[in-house]
Amino acid sequence: MTPERATGVARPRRKLPLAEWQLALPLALAFASIFLAPLVMLVGVSFFNDDKITQPGIGQWVKFLGDPFSYKVIADTMLLGIKTVCATIVIGYPLALIYLDASPRLQKVLIFIIVMPLLLSVVVRTFAWIVVLGREGVVNTLLLQLGIISEPLRLLQTELGLVISLTQIEMPLMLLPLISVMSRLDPNLRDASSALGASRWRTLFKVIVPLSMPGLVAGCLLVFASSTTAFISQTVIGGVRLIYLPLLIWQQSLVVFNWPFAAVVSLTLLVSVLTVVSALSYLGRRSGGYVHG
Amino acid sequence: MFSRRRLLAGATALGGASLLPSIAHAKGSVAAAIYPGTWEEAFRAIVVPALKKKDSVDLELQPLFAVDQVAKAKAARGAPPFDAFVLDPGPRITAIQDGLFDKIDVKKISNASKLPAGLVDEWGIGVNAQVVGIAYNPKKLPAPKGWKDLFTDPWVSRLGITGFQTTFGTVSLIEIAKVFGGSETNIEPALVELKKVLPKIAAVGQPAAMPGLFQQGQCDVIYTNTQTVATLKGRGVDIEFVKPETGAITFLTTLHIAKGAAEVENAYKYLDIVAGKEVQEALTKPPYNFIPVNKDVPVPSYLPMKSLDEMSSYVRHDWAKINPLRAGWIEKFNKEMAK
Repeated sequence: MTPERATGVARPRRKLPLAEWQLALPLALAFASIFLAPLVMLVGVSFFNDDKITQPGIGQWVKFLGDPFSYKVIADTMLLGIKTVCATIVIGYPLALIYLDASPRLQKVLIFIIVMPLLLSVVVRTFAWIVVLGREGVVNTLLLQLGIISEPLRLLQTELGLVISLTQIEMPLMLLPLISVMSRLDPNLRDASSALGASRWRTLFKVIVPLSMPGLVAGCLLVFASSTTAFISQTVIGGVRLIYLPLLIWQQSLVVFNWPFAAVVSLTLLVSVLTVVSALSYLGRRSGGYVHG
Repeated sequence: MFSRRRLLAGATALGGASLLPSIAHAKGSVAAAIYPGTWEEAFRAIVVPALKKKDSVDLELQPLFAVDQVAKAKAARGAPPFDAFVLDPGPRITAIQDGLFDKIDVKKISNASKLPAGLVDEWGIGVNAQVVGIAYNPKKLPAPKGWKDLFTDPWVSRLGITGFQTTFGTVSLIEIAKVFGGSETNIEPALVELKKVLPKIAAVGQPAAMPGLFQQGQCDVIYTNTQTVATLKGRGVDIEFVKPETGAITFLTTLHIAKGAAEVENAYKYLDIVAGKEVQEALTKPPYNFIPVNKDVPVPSYLPMKSLDEMSSYVRHDWAKINPLRAGWIEKFNKEMAK
């Protein structure tokens, strides 16, 4: 949300003095050298037909885009991201509401619990999920002992298991922006809404949800980008029968050494993720306009 | 307040600090890539102190799978991030073709004479023979006799498989293909049979995830090497190794000096000490259970191979034929196994 939007008054843009512009130069150069240059190289490498990178051509693009299997992998990868985003919203949003209503002491405990997954290495978190979801894991043992199931459920190496674990792994990325936006909301707005006769649900959907939209959209962006590229979780928990773009990149770059093909898959992942992320941030801007327009 | 002089002093100190590791590197160290897991543990415990004691050289181990080493060295273009490779036959051939090795001068490796013929060539030395076969949980399953058993009950519903990403996965799938009528260059029958039983199979995983999946009971029969079996056994996991009736598979693990290595002389010392009697003997002991290659080291009775002469009776593969086909196999495996 820009200050212009928040106040509804457009301020004249201040011209940046030369000195400030120069101060930003080192960062801009670093960004150009460590991000843009490799990206340009990646695009360049993708336009070679052979793995020795000697014959220029569009052979690898034709091979990838001409194979129906590629579209299935792209769709599966994007769907995984969308499912994870939905699951983190369903669980994360009520959690954020609980956080808002909690006492300051409880808020500290909650924030610690929310941030905790970030303090662990992704490898440890992922392997912990093997222990939880495995055939002889915590969930199956509990359900068997309670007599709810007679045979262990297959949770590992399924999309359901992967979405469950990614939801926990990515939850901080949803909650932190959400909480930071929601805790800035004026509590009087809720009181005003109920004083005007709105029910709690109406207040939630007409006041709190629209106002928290920037945080929600930021959370969705982060969770989507992170879950679609979570190579370790995807391969260790999902197994290799669930094929997503990061697995293809790894196989082509590190096992087969076909870097041009790996570059094609990498660029496809980049473009696919950017497309969804741009759509989300467009929606976010639209909702911002709706609230304050 | 920041003065220009203070800023410069700070920057110089920082710059100086960044040079420190390279100074330490120049004083007698060598960087060697090593397989993560059992190999890393064994080399850290045995080779690092041995090299320090004998030659006062610090050995810095970088845990990397064979394919990762080749990828990193290729990407580094002549300035490799480590001085010595440890590789399986497939990646070794790729590395030779891509010019990633320095040719070695055998005279600089005194222990080379203690290695059987065929383990030393112009590109490097063999330091270990890996043996691949079937591992199963004896508390949950009877011992399978061979590869074919893995496709029938009770084994098939407890089977965990991996694809062609690793050497042990590739050679195991080739052997499976052979029992169903395929060959070293025709793995189609293995994929056909796998596809038939796919819904029943317990796990299709990444190679690195398989020991964890076995330990957690997700699958109870896998194909793997004897060192993984030894490591899991050492952790108290119920696991036994079986030589399939068509023969266990073996391949050599070799050490090489990287082209453009910063510490060539120390890399020679590293190769020499790994081939030496003291280190080879220590590596044969549990929980590492390496099969020794030094002729002066007796092979303990608990290892699957009684002597290196036995290697000829094991199943071996021609990686010059396999390598060009592997990319296609990986692609095929993805498509056939995908949900």
